[in-house]
Amino acid sequence: MAFLEVKDLKVYYPIRGGFFKRVIDYVKAVDGINIRLEQGETYGLVGESGCGKSTTGRALLKLTKTTSGQVLFNGTDLTSVSAHKMHELRKDIQMIFQDPYSSLNPKKRIVDIIAEPLRNYEHLSRKEENKVAREYMERVGLSSDSIYKYPHEFSGGQRQRIGIARALTLNPKLIVADEPVSALDVSVQAQVLNFMQDIQKEFNLTYLFISHDLGVIRHMCDRIGIMYQGRLVEEGLSRDIYENPQHIYTKRLISAIPNIDPAHREKQSAIRHQINDEYNKSYKNYFDNDGKAYQLKAISPTHFVALP
Amino acid sequence: MLKFLLRRILIMIPQLFILSVLIFTLAKAMPGDALSGQLENAHADPKVIAEQRQKLGLDDPIQVQYIRWINHAIHGDLGMSYTHKIPVTDLIGERLWNTLLLAAATLIVSYAIAIPFGVASGRWTNSWLDKWVTCYTYFTYATPLFIFAILMMFLFSFELNLFPSGGSVDPQAVPGTLNYFISKFTHLVLPTLSGALLATSTTIQFLRNEVIDTKIQDFVATARSKGVPESKVYSRHILRNSFLPIAAFLGYDITGLIGGSVFVESIYSYPGLGQLFLDSIQQRDFTVVSALVMISGFAALLGTLLSDIILSAVDPRIRID
Amino acid sequence: MMRLIEPLNTQPVNSEEKSPSALAILGRELVKDKLAMASIIILILLLSTVYITSLVLNQDQIVKIDLLEINAPPSEDHLLGTDQGGRDIFGQLIIGTRNSFSIGFLITLITGIIGLTVGLIAGYFGGIADNIIMRIIDFVLVLPFLMIVIVCATIVPKFNLWTFIFVMSAFLWTGKARLIRSKTLAERELDYVSASKTLGTPNWKIILREVLPNLSSIIIVNLTLNLAGNIGIESGLSFLGFGLPESTPSLGTLISYAQDADTIQNKWWVWVPASVLILVLMLCINFVGQALKRATDARQRKG
Ligand SMILES: Nc1ncnc2c1ncn2[C@@H]1O[C@H](COP(=O)(O)OP(=O)(O)OP(=O)(O)O)[C@@H](O)[C@H]1O
Ligand SMILES: [Mg+2]
Repeated sequence: MAFLEVKDLKVYYPIRGGFFKRVIDYVKAVDGINIRLEQGETYGLVGESGCGKSTTGRALLKLTKTTSGQVLFNGTDLTSVSAHKMHELRKDIQMIFQDPYSSLNPKKRIVDIIAEPLRNYEHLSRKEENKVAREYMERVGLSSDSIYKYPHEFSGGQRQRIGIARALTLNPKLIVADEPVSALDVSVQAQVLNFMQDIQKEFNLTYLFISHDLGVIRHMCDRIGIMYQGRLVEEGLSRDIYENPQHIYTKRLISAIPNIDPAHREKQSAIRHQINDEYNKSYKNYFDNDGKAYQLKAISPTHFVALP
Repeated sequence: MLKFLLRRILIMIPQLFILSVLIFTLAKAMPGDALSGQLENAHADPKVIAEQRQKLGLDDPIQVQYIRWINHAIHGDLGMSYTHKIPVTDLIGERLWNTLLLAAATLIVSYAIAIPFGVASGRWTNSWLDKWVTCYTYFTYATPLFIFAILMMFLFSFELNLFPSGGSVDPQAVPGTLNYFISKFTHLVLPTLSGALLATSTTIQFLRNEVIDTKIQDFVATARSKGVPESKVYSRHILRNSFLPIAAFLGYDITGLIGGSVFVESIYSYPGLGQLFLDSIQQRDFTVVSALVMISGFAALLGTLLSDIILSAVDPRIRID
Repeated sequence: MMRLIEPLNTQPVNSEEKSPSALAILGRELVKDKLAMASIIILILLLSTVYITSLVLNQDQIVKIDLLEINAPPSEDHLLGTDQGGRDIFGQLIIGTRNSFSIGFLITLITGIIGLTVGLIAGYFGGIADNIIMRIIDFVLVLPFLMIVIVCATIVPKFNLWTFIFVMSAFLWTGKARLIRSKTLAERELDYVSASKTLGTPNWKIILREVLPNLSSIIIVNLTLNLAGNIGIESGLSFLGFGLPESTPSLGTLISYAQDADTIQNKWWVWVPASVLILVLMLCINFVGQALKRATDARQRKG
C-alpha cells in the first residue's frame, strides 16, 4: 500500500453560459492524473502556468471538489471519506501556500495563527499554547518573543517560515507545498528551501512540491512529474528527467533553463532553437488529435513517458 | 449580446409576477375593495354589500380574483377612484405629465451642475475649487430632502418672494399663452432646484473619482503627448467613458426618484403622482394607491432593465457574471 | 434626497491597511481630521444632553394639548415656545431627538446584523443559496420602498414603534447584505481562508474569526453612514405623517408644521430648531463617516 496514491484524478471547472447560465463546457484543469508517493520522499510537480498544478494540490486537500478519481492516503479514499474522518485526517496532510502575504490572516497575532490548528485538535491551556508557539517559532528560526506581533511586521521570507511553522504544529506526514518560494526574493529562496529540507529529515515529511522552476525542483526533488494541460507527460527520477528527457515537451522545458555560465550561453541558445524546431515539427507525434498527452508508458522501471 | 438581452428580460418575468402578487396582497389587506374601487362603504345595508360583493366577484377564490385583476390591469383597467368617481387611469394621466416634467427638469439641472463640477474637481484635485466642491457634496449628501425643500421655500418664496410656493401653474393663466408658459416655468424652479441640488452629490463624487482614475491611465498620457489639448482629452475620453455608467445609475435610482417626488410634490403642493399618492392615502382612496404602487414598481423594474442593458453594452464583463 | 443606494465611491480597501491596526488607523485618522473630531465632540455633547434631559422631562406633560398656549413665542415658561397644540417645543425637541436617534440606531443595528449574516453566508458559501439571496436582494431594492412603508403605516391596524422598525428593517438590510457579500466573495479567495480549512477550522469559525475581522473597517464606515441615512428616513416619514404614532413627539412632525404658510413665515420657533437639529445630527454623523471612509482609502489618507 502506497503512502499516497492519486488514481485517475480529474477536476473540471464548469463554464456557464447561454440561457440560464447552464453548464456549456468544462475547463479540464486536471484531466486524469496518477501519482504514487512513498513516505519520506519529495515529489516535484512541474509545468507551465495554468497546467493544473495548484488544482492538483488543492484537490488532495479537498480545497476544490474532485470531479472523479481517487486520492488514497494510507489506503483511505479522501474523496469519499466522511466529514468526521476527514477532520481527523487533516492533521496528517498540510499545505504551504505560495503567497506568504495572503496566506496569513493580517488581523491575527502570530501566536493565534500558529495555535489555530492546536485549538481545533488539542485542547491546551493558553500557557501551553504559547509555549508551543514559541517552540515552533524557534524551530523555524524566528525569535520566540515575536509571537505577539502581527504578520505585517515580518518580511516575506519570515512570513513563509511562519506559514511553515503553522503547518508543522499538527505533526503532519504529508505537506503539499504550492510554489513555496516563488513569491520570495532569490536571496531568500535558498534559505527557505534548505530549511524545508532540514525539517523534512527531522520530521520524516513527505513533500508534494509544486513549482514551475526546474532549478528549484532539481534542488529539492527525488522524483519529478511533468505536467501539461491537466495531464502528466513524463515522470521519473530526477536523473531520468534532467539527463534523459524523452518527451518533446520535457525537452523543451529543460532547454529553457537559463544557463549562468557565459561560455555555454551561445551553445545553449542554439540547442534551444533546435529543440523548438523539433517541437513544432514533431508535435503531432507526442499529442493526440485534441492536443492532449497520451497515457504514460514505462521505458525503464523508474521512467515513464506519455507516448502513443 | 442578444442572449444576454433575452435572459435579462426573462428574469424580469418572475420579478413582475412577485411584484404583482405583493401588491395584490397589500390591496387585499386594505379596507374596501382596493382593486375595483366600486364597493360602497361600510355604512350601507349589509345585504346590499353582500350583493355587491357577489357582483364584483369578491367571494370568488383568491386566485380567480388575482387573475381577473391582472387581466384588467394588462388591458389598462386599474379600477375606479373612490373619491373622484373616475377611472384611476384618467386620474393618473393628468398628473403623470407633471411628474415627468418635474423629473426631467430635475435630472437636466442636476447633470448640468454635476458634470462640469465633477470633472473640474477631479482634474484639479486639491485646488480651491475641488475643496469647495467636495465640501458642497458633503453637505448636500447629508441634508435630507424635505428639510432642504422647506428651507428653499422659506428663503426664495417667502423671504425673497422670487418664486411661487405651490402648484404647477397659475390657475388664472390661459393655456397656450406666453404667460402660461412663464407661470409653469416659475412654478417649476423651486421644486426642481430642491431635488437637483441634492441629487448632484453622488454624480459629482462618481465623476471626480472616475477622472482621477482615468488621469493615470495610458491613453490620456498618449493623447496628451500627441499634442491633443488638455481640455479636449478630458471632454473626449473621460466623458465618453463615464457618460453611459452615469446614465445607467439613473435607471437604478428610479425608486429613489419616486421617493423624492413624494416629498417635493407634497411640500410644493405640486399636482403630480407623488402628491396624488399622499392625497389618496389620506382619503383612503386605495384603488389609486395600489395602482400607483404598481406603476412605481413597474417603472423601477424597467429602469433596472435599461440600466443593466446599458452597462452590459459598456462593459462586457458584466454580461458573463 | 433619500439615499436608497449605496454611495458610489466605496473604494476597494487595499491590502496595506488590512494590517491588524486598521481600527487604530481609523482612530488616528479621525483624530487628525479636525472636522471629524469637532463632529464627534458635538455629537457627544448633543446626545448626552438629550438623553440626560429626557430622563427628567415629563413626556405626558409635553404632549398634553394646551389650548391657551397655542403657538406661543419663546418665553420663560416655554423656552422655545409652543406649537399649534400648545405643546412645549423644547421638550418635544429633546424627546424627538432621542426617539429619532434611538430608532435610527436600532434600525442600523438590526439591518446591520441581518445584512452581515446574510451577506457573509451568501458570499462565503456561494452556490445556489447565494443565487437565491441575490435575486431576493435585487428584487427588494427595486420595490418602491417609501410608498410601501406609507401604505403599511396606513393599513396596519396598530402601527407602533416596533412595527415601524420592522417594516423599515425589512427593506433596509438589502444594501448592506449586498456590500458584505461582495467583500466576502473577494476575501474567501485569499489563501488564509484555504489555510484555515486545511488546519481543520470549521466554516462558521472561519466566517466569524477569520473573514469578519477583515471586513471590520468597511462595516464600520457603512454603518456610520447608514445611521445618518436612517435618521433622515425616519424624520422624513414623520414629516409626511407616516412615521411614529401622532402622540409621540418627533422632529419630523415639528418641521411638517412649516407646510403652513403662516407658520413658516411667522413662527420660526416651531420648525427652525427641529430642522437645525436634524441637520446638525446628520452632518456630524456624515462627517465622521466620510472621515472613516477616507481613512480606509490610502489614496485619500491625510498621512
Ligand atoms: N476556481 C476556478 N474556476 C474555474 N477555473 C479555474 C479555477 N481555478 C483554476 N481554474 C483553471 O484551471 C486551470 C489550472 O489552474 P491552476 O491554478 O491549477 O494552474 P497552475 O498550474 O497552478 O498555474 P500557476 O503556475 O499559474 O499557478 C487554469 O486554466 C485555470 O484557469
Ligand atoms: Mg498555481
